[in-house]
Amino acid sequence: MSRTETAGASVDDASGDEEFDPVGTLALIAVYFAILLIAWVYIYFIEFLGRDLVVVG
Amino acid sequence: MSDALEAEETFLDRYPAEAKVVRSAFLGSFLALTLGAIFGIIQTLHRTGIFRGLIDSSDYYTVLTAHGVFLVISFTVFFLVGLFTWAVVRSLDRPLVNIKITWTWYLLMAGGMTMTGISILAGLTDAIDMSADVLYTFYAPLQAHPLFYTGLAVFIVGSWLAGADWFRTWLAWREDNPGERIPLQTFMVLTTMIMWYIASSAVAASVLIFLLPWSLGLIESVNPTLTRTLFWFFGHPVVYFWLMPAYLLWYTVLPSIAGGRLFSDPLARVVFVLFLLLSTPVGIHHQYLDPGIAEGFKFISMTNTMFLLLPSLLTAFTVVASVEYGARQRGGTGVFGWLRSLPWRDPAFTGMMLAGLMFAAGGFSGMVNAGMNINYMIHNTIWVPGHFHLTVGTAVALTFMAATYWLWPQITNKPVYSRQIGLFQVVLWFIGMALMSNAMHAQGLLGVPRRTAEPEYSGFEYPVAFGGFEELNVQIAIGGTLLFLSTVLFIGNLVLTMGNPRVSGLAETIRPALSGPDDAPKVLDDLRIWVGIAVTLVVLAYALPLAAIINDGGLLGPGVGTYPVWIDTAVGALAEVAVPAAWSLVDALAFVGARLLEAAASGVMA
Amino acid sequence: MHIHAYEKIWLALSIVLILLLLGSVTYGAVGPGVAMVADSEAQIDANALDEDDRFAEPRVEQVGENEYEAYVVSYQFGFDPSPIVVPENSTVTLQITSRDVIHGFEVAGTNANTMAVPGEVAEITVEVGEPQEYGIVCNEYCGAGHHGMEGKLHVVTEEEFESEDGGDSE
Repeated sequence: MSRTETAGASVDDASGDEEFDPVGTLALIAVYFAILLIAWVYIYFIEFLGRDLVVVG
Repeated sequence: MSDALEAEETFLDRYPAEAKVVRSAFLGSFLALTLGAIFGIIQTLHRTGIFRGLIDSSDYYTVLTAHGVFLVISFTVFFLVGLFTWAVVRSLDRPLVNIKITWTWYLLMAGGMTMTGISILAGLTDAIDMSADVLYTFYAPLQAHPLFYTGLAVFIVGSWLAGADWFRTWLAWREDNPGERIPLQTFMVLTTMIMWYIASSAVAASVLIFLLPWSLGLIESVNPTLTRTLFWFFGHPVVYFWLMPAYLLWYTVLPSIAGGRLFSDPLARVVFVLFLLLSTPVGIHHQYLDPGIAEGFKFISMTNTMFLLLPSLLTAFTVVASVEYGARQRGGTGVFGWLRSLPWRDPAFTGMMLAGLMFAAGGFSGMVNAGMNINYMIHNTIWVPGHFHLTVGTAVALTFMAATYWLWPQITNKPVYSRQIGLFQVVLWFIGMALMSNAMHAQGLLGVPRRTAEPEYSGFEYPVAFGGFEELNVQIAIGGTLLFLSTVLFIGNLVLTMGNPRVSGLAETIRPALSGPDDAPKVLDDLRIWVGIAVTLVVLAYALPLAAIINDGGLLGPGVGTYPVWIDTAVGALAEVAVPAAWSLVDALAFVGARLLEAAASGVMA
Repeated sequence: MHIHAYEKIWLALSIVLILLLLGSVTYGAVGPGVAMVADSEAQIDANALDEDDRFAEPRVEQVGENEYEAYVVSYQFGFDPSPIVVPENSTVTLQITSRDVIHGFEVAGTNANTMAVPGEVAEITVEVGEPQEYGIVCNEYCGAGHHGMEGKLHVVTEEEFESEDGGDSE
């Protein structure tokens, strides 16, 4: 028997059979997603495409 | 910890021989960290113009080579082999097959790195006619001393034997446990090592077939685009080789420290399989601005690179959810309120969380690096080191340091000297890096190049945006100084820890996943399938570009010279004088010969 | 395999993000027409640049109405020609190579940026606007004197360009 995660069933589980819903994680990650989107639009369309000497060929 | 049954023994109690290997690997790693940090602070203060009294600008590149090689090869990989040895032995709950083989690979790696290290450091003194100021990427036709390449080759062979050692241990386990799922930590080690075998084959080929023979004078020239492409074949997956040990810790150790459990074992497996498949066929994204590679190949590489975001984004969710579960178990409530219920006083926890937060920020600058045409804006600017100081310099390095506070007692039975100093140290790293990396990104947008001793130029001034060039230099210097102090605290705390007496009762436990391995499809554990797909993807991504490069420029290049950095300047100067002199002699002889011929011819005519 | 509903949402959002990134880059290529440095030019012998009709004499040449080509050689530790002088509001194609080691060619603070690899010729075309002086830096480590390697790009008025062109045979 390995001393590992595979020993799953044998350990006490406070949450029982009820599924755990990571609401907080979903909220945090949604904020991260929004930041990524805004930052990308800024850096690509304003910072990059707005520069001098765009390479066209 | 609640799992009293498991927690009776530390790793040292149960596997003293293996614990010694892990300790030795970590000590090698921390020695490299110390050297790297010393070179880091010299470099930061020199580059920003705060203090240039210690080294000449021409020696800056020796320091930079040492900083790069010691930190991203030596510090990271030695920590990795220690951690992976611990993870395999712990999760399979059996000793390594043959500890002599284990010490063999350790000595090979240590010996190789010593050779490479000597060849680099010799560049600081004129007394030894040796140098390897070629930076971590060693782009030909700049040429290092042969010892540099030899050491790298020996080091890589050592790492291959290490992988073989873990594979053999797993195979022995499988014989005794037919039909059982591969324990998660071992699964992570094996998939990472398969990726490493595929990736490092290219750099080994580049070194053994081209660079080493060339540095020994056996072949006359190399094809710079070819050796560069072979480097990046290895150079991108090596990023994941640094990162996978950190992921292993985030998935398997961090949730337990937070009082939670891994949210999903199956998804962790999927993530590691995705890294195995996608890490390698992406290297050309480091060569977006290279001539000699068609745009189509660059686009394919970008597509693969963007999909490589997927496993990291999935990791963000799984790891945060696992930690949130811990917070809820500890009585945390609310959408964001649970964050208050986490063990923020624990340096191992806080360090890993801050590392993860930095990685999220690094994810953004990585997206920019991966975007094919936006690369024009930031390619080879200091934006790029700004990015990888968030990823390898914090996500990886800070996780390793934080994990040491948790793991070191397990392999020594000695409690950490001061957890308060530990906590202060990890927060200091975060603050230092936030300052330094942010300013580096901003300077990159101004067009300030990376890899230079003096980024200010006589002929022009940088534009002012996000703060001026000088002001950002000060931020970089302050950040770099804080990072150095943080390293000193880390090493100091560890040295004092070594002085502590051995005690019992330090054993920590790793709790099983909420959704265990039985929920994962069996096919995930069939490594042969993933090896097959990974190799196929690499062939698809690289066969045509490599064929085109060899077809266009030849194996040994289209007539490119050799530029050794290791030949003594006196010899170099002599050569510079001697070669034109020799040519003038040849010219003169030819002239005289031609005249004689002419005279003879006219004589005959007459 | 069991995947939590929230994680499925995140997976979908992640794929949307990846497609958005790929979409932006494709838009940049198709809309504003940003093109990549590629393998458009054949390899050359870096040890025999003086036999190449472009790089034997690094220079700026008019190749069409309002179209110019600049042949630039990078070397340890400088660029030739320097300054690169071109007239305002023109289309300039830069062909850049190296006669020794790998260099970088970056017009600081702009998008004109490429590697200069010995044996290869990098070709980028840019549209220049009003008269302006830009700095050029080598952004790849190329040896002990790397930090001194810089050049200039001067965008000048038509008249200045004519007079300089007339006055200087280069």
